[in-house]
Amino acid sequence: MGQIKLTTVVISKGILMATMFVLCLNAVAHPMPNSVVSLSVLEESISGEVKIPLLELESAIGRKASELNTDFFREYFTTHIQAVSDNQTWRTEIESLSPVTDTSPFVGEYQEVVVHFRLTPPDARQLRHITFKYDAVIHQVVTHRALVFVQYDWSNGLQDESESEPLGVIGLDVPSGKIFPLDVHLEEGSWINGVKGMFLLGMKHIREGLDHILFLLTLLLIAPLTIEKSKWSGYQGFRYTLTRFLKISLAFTLGHSITLLAGSLNWIDFRVQYVEVLIAVSILVSAVNCVKPIFFKKEIFIAGGFGLIHGLAFSISLSHLELGLGSKLLSIVGFNLGIEAMQFIIMACFLPVLLISKWKAYPAVRTAFAVFTIILSMAWIAERIATKENFITTYFNSML
Amino acid sequence: MRNSAFLFFCAALLLGGSACSSDDDNTTTDTADTETNPDPIEVSGCSSSTGIEKIICLSDAFKTQLTSSQLAIAQRTYTTSEAAKWSNFPEALYGQRVGLDFGSMTSTQIQYAKALLKEVAGTSANEGWDELQQLLNADEYLAENGGGSDYGAANYYIAFLGTPAATGTFEIQYGGHHVAFANTYIDGVLVGATPSFRGIEPFSAFEWNGETNQPLVQEKDALSAMLTGLSSDQLTSAKLGSTFADLIAGPQKDANFPTTPSGVKGGDLSSDQKNLIMTAIKTYVQDVEDAETFITKYTTELDDTYIAYSGTTGLTTTNDYVRIDGPSVWIEYSCQRGVVLSGTHPHSVWRDKLTDYGGN
Repeated sequence: MGQIKLTTVVISKGILMATMFVLCLNAVAHPMPNSVVSLSVLEESISGEVKIPLLELESAIGRKASELNTDFFREYFTTHIQAVSDNQTWRTEIESLSPVTDTSPFVGEYQEVVVHFRLTPPDARQLRHITFKYDAVIHQVVTHRALVFVQYDWSNGLQDESESEPLGVIGLDVPSGKIFPLDVHLEEGSWINGVKGMFLLGMKHIREGLDHILFLLTLLLIAPLTIEKSKWSGYQGFRYTLTRFLKISLAFTLGHSITLLAGSLNWIDFRVQYVEVLIAVSILVSAVNCVKPIFFKKEIFIAGGFGLIHGLAFSISLSHLELGLGSKLLSIVGFNLGIEAMQFIIMACFLPVLLISKWKAYPAVRTAFAVFTIILSMAWIAERIATKENFITTYFNSML
Repeated sequence: MRNSAFLFFCAALLLGGSACSSDDDNTTTDTADTETNPDPIEVSGCSSSTGIEKIICLSDAFKTQLTSSQLAIAQRTYTTSEAAKWSNFPEALYGQRVGLDFGSMTSTQIQYAKALLKEVAGTSANEGWDELQQLLNADEYLAENGGGSDYGAANYYIAFLGTPAATGTFEIQYGGHHVAFANTYIDGVLVGATPSFRGIEPFSAFEWNGETNQPLVQEKDALSAMLTGLSSDQLTSAKLGSTFADLIAGPQKDANFPTTPSGVKGGDLSSDQKNLIMTAIKTYVQDVEDAETFITKYTTELDDTYIAYSGTTGLTTTNDYVRIDGPSVWIEYSCQRGVVLSGTHPHSVWRDKLTDYGGN
């Protein structure tokens, strides 16, 4: 019985996904796209964002919408974004209204209105069972549709903005001429799901973060070596390699764990751009060192020191989470364990590679790799300072 | 993309720098001998036959022009799921059309395809085949005036759903950007000529191959005349409160009709006013050669047919909308913003509540 139910859920979810896909396609293909509502389930409220094509909003209100930050629009959206549970209406607050420019392959650039709102139920236990009565624009422009997604739901492991789940579509039901609200029933979730989600997010972060991997690998490339006459020597044996390998890795882990904690709890404030530039610098420094020793015996400090910088970058994924302290600490632990797990997998892949340092060709391989990394890291530095792609990063991205 | 970054990286490290190969589509466009928008050919072998025999003859003549692989794409089995795969969007955005595209056919093959379409679409000026040809011209115009290669005659598709024969079911399905043509024959009789979509950009008259094209202005004029023929009281009753930015019964919105019709009822109108409704209906129905059965049916049902509109009666302003909603007939027309060009452009659809896809 349970299995049958599960299958039904899976199938209906599949159909919903397919429908949403077609609608997204139509959203692209139609001269004016649909609205997209993204909900974030927090501990005591739901915050949401809706993107509405400006021209459709103007069609709905029957006039130009040049000034958004007005009582008219706050009242308009308060009226048209409503949630109800057990016949009790939630509190709707409009937090911000702003214009943005978006692009679609069909119409090119077009204007959108972004509305941030917060829905608070009378009782937090109602948070997961909502009749979502959304009809902005649709109440008048009956050909318009709103695609509704849940973008963030910590205790169901949904923490990655790129993986939002479709809930349904709100639009006119033509046969009846009515706009039906969307009934949303979310699973209760648990802290285990929350931690698991954060763990996976941490793994994904490293897996997709080429810069973190490059930094670590360039440092580890010289783990089997020592210095002879200011130059890198040959292979120093397995025990020596393993010891240095573990020390460097541990130092990096220690470094980034400290700042991950501090950054996630918003204890320190920093400019993301500077951190990104410093990360690229850290790769450059360790790549140069890989060619010619510049801080031998201090790799551990370099790993730890720059680990602090990388940890700040990791914390960006967590610092904006609206969670209670308990859930937040659990998130940090889960996320960091995910990072370590992925790092461990990569290192385990990489350790055997270090054994080729016995080969005569190793200095050439090492140097070639380091030169490649030097060029790329310098291009990254330039890109991150200028906040604009350059021909090297463009070329590199196009190869990926 | 960042995911593949990691894969690339591992591959580069562990396999000694082998590069990832991308799945580039290496299809070359053979434009050397392909003129994608020729005139129909006169198929002499079919000139003596008439009616369904001529349609079968022209279908077979076209099919014999095709290579076996082209034929496998064009000649399909009849299924309602493939019948429903039409769209008004350019194929580059929709991507689900079945059948053979003009872009992969030789000029001669296209001429044979067009000979068939000309036969089934009828010969009134600015309607039927003339309209379909002008709509191809419009898309050629779009391709050259900012639309690029996603537009143009090369992106129109023709398919046989079921084998054209005097018995059994087959549909001649043809369409592309702004066009859907769907004639369904059962046992040699045209039982459904819908869903039939017509839209155009540019809407204003344009020159193409030395001729002026404006094939949907007759539809707009007839629908507008139908509205302005109403008294001011009737016009008030015909006005819908809602705003329509597009059609409600467009592609993949089959059987999406209001249970309760809105607007003014034909039975409450004068015979002159009813004639104006019929004139408007004919600008759609006469896009097929065998229009008579539909015209008779819709005339009979005129008293129970409603007309309604939104926006203005001129039908050239953004969000202008008009609808004819009868027991069988459904015609919807929406004026919307330009996509490639500035200015407005219309979308419209003729459906039949009982015989869309031949009633299947």
